[in-house]
Amino acid sequence: MARKNVKFSLFKYTMLMFVAIFVLYPVYYMITLSLRSQASLWSNPTLLPASDSSLENYRAAFASVEFTTSLKNSVIVCSSATILALVFGVMAAYSLTILKFRGRDTMGRVIIIAFLTPGALLFIPFAVIMANLNLSNSLKGLVLVYLSFMVPLATYLLLGFFRSLPPELEEAARIDGANRLQALWFVLVPLIAPGLISVAIITFTGAYNELLYSLVINVSPSVRTVPVAILNLSVADEVPWGRTMAYSSVAAIPIMVLYFLGQRFVVEGLQTGSVKG
Amino acid sequence: MATVSETSTPAVKVKKSRRRGGIFDPTSILGYFMMLPAMVVLILFFAYPLGFEIYSSLTDMTLGNDAKFIGFDNYGSLLADPEFLTAAKNSFVYVTAVQLGKFVLGLGIAILLHQKLVARGFWRAVVLVPYAMPGFVAYLVWKLFYNPDVGSLNIILTKIGLIDAPIAFLGDRDWAMPAVIFATIWRGFPFWAIMFLAALQAVPKELYEAAAVDGANAWQRFKNISLPGIRPVVLVVFLISTINTINSFEAIWLTTAGGPSDATVILPIFAYRGLTSFNIGQSAAAALSLVPVALIFTYFILKRMKKDQ
Repeated sequence: MARKNVKFSLFKYTMLMFVAIFVLYPVYYMITLSLRSQASLWSNPTLLPASDSSLENYRAAFASVEFTTSLKNSVIVCSSATILALVFGVMAAYSLTILKFRGRDTMGRVIIIAFLTPGALLFIPFAVIMANLNLSNSLKGLVLVYLSFMVPLATYLLLGFFRSLPPELEEAARIDGANRLQALWFVLVPLIAPGLISVAIITFTGAYNELLYSLVINVSPSVRTVPVAILNLSVADEVPWGRTMAYSSVAAIPIMVLYFLGQRFVVEGLQTGSVKG
Repeated sequence: MATVSETSTPAVKVKKSRRRGGIFDPTSILGYFMMLPAMVVLILFFAYPLGFEIYSSLTDMTLGNDAKFIGFDNYGSLLADPEFLTAAKNSFVYVTAVQLGKFVLGLGIAILLHQKLVARGFWRAVVLVPYAMPGFVAYLVWKLFYNPDVGSLNIILTKIGLIDAPIAFLGDRDWAMPAVIFATIWRGFPFWAIMFLAALQAVPKELYEAAAVDGANAWQRFKNISLPGIRPVVLVVFLISTINTINSFEAIWLTTAGGPSDATVILPIFAYRGLTSFNIGQSAAAALSLVPVALIFTYFILKRMKKDQ
């Protein structure tokens, strides 16, 4: 029996090692390649960190105005859209779970339908409408377009958190003399604070990773977001790999650290949204 | 004293009006007020663009030109366009294979993480890495990995002697689709693994103990306890993830851009190509061809949610 357990443990951890290599190799690859020049990639194909590694590509990244501008643009667009989506999402999820009024179920259904609509469905009208409104090539325009998927996403995830609260809680607060808004702000919102963190991380990264709308709507260099800026490093089929990987590392590592720190919240958010929603 | 009566009487009123469902009682007004921002966003940036898209799909709209109504001609010419049919077929193959791969890998890894482990939190964090990596970065890394000249897949395969000459995985008609599918599975399986793990952990331990006492073996316990326990989660995860996969423009655009010669063109790529050639009416019709699929999935999710409540 004991020998069987040892064997099983060995099997488990061997499998886990394979999973870890499978999952982490691309990250290792991105970082090692980001330290190499284009010439050295060709002359010295190696799987290990190369001896001629340098931080040159990172220096080039931070010296590039186009790249630093795109980082700034991404941060501005994604944080404004996240804050708006959170506020609108809390308001909507609150009234869809706590309040009872005519038309509530229909509105809830509209949110779910919007949540489930693929973004690839709407980029064409957005391109035309934003151009007609003189909002293409502006950060404002991109925030508005991003709200189209972030508000339904935030609401959908928050619905799960509001549903997990005992319904008597809000009534108890009101019996104690709080009005509806006070009950929401002082009792319900603090209780779903972990939910807010998880929804903030999920919606922020959703916007940060978005490529299609940004590609279609914000064409001029001064309003590009990070993914579009990195894509524009390549000229025709010629990809400067070392620089692309350095830019990618700069773009990816803060997001991955954020995920790692907020892991508990992210996992809870995904599970509450999908399992109970 | 006034506050007491104010708080107590509306409470009674609210109860009464709940039954009547009047739209002017205080709860309803607050409800509409709180829904207002989300609804305004959805009307302006969801319903209106969707309506505009349906309208433009019925016209010969190009960028900068006045549109003329042409009925269903765009849809007719789509069905006669071999590239569109290829895109539809590729979309089906891509989504089916990706979802199957995510399911198998996700379930396998969830079961692995569900075992007794030292530092389970650490392993779970490791599994989340592909999900945390921004998609646009992940697909660029995979593109480099597959590169015939400098990519490490070819270096590895040559070193262990499996191939003599480098293979251009993304530039080869037979390899491009499997290569893109594999990259998409890598990026997407953690969501499934994490969901399955949560579902497995939610199954009461007593069930397993009782079954073990009754003499059920590991496979019987898995089949009769674990699988039924995770079934509702599988359904929701499958639906949400499939919608996202149908939508995955970047996975293809950043690796093959649809090539070589349409081998990996899926519907969003086809529609995007139409837009870049300013053929708005036509590409609107192509994008709208996603609607039937999305509607079927939405129907099942709404039904499932109703059951939950």
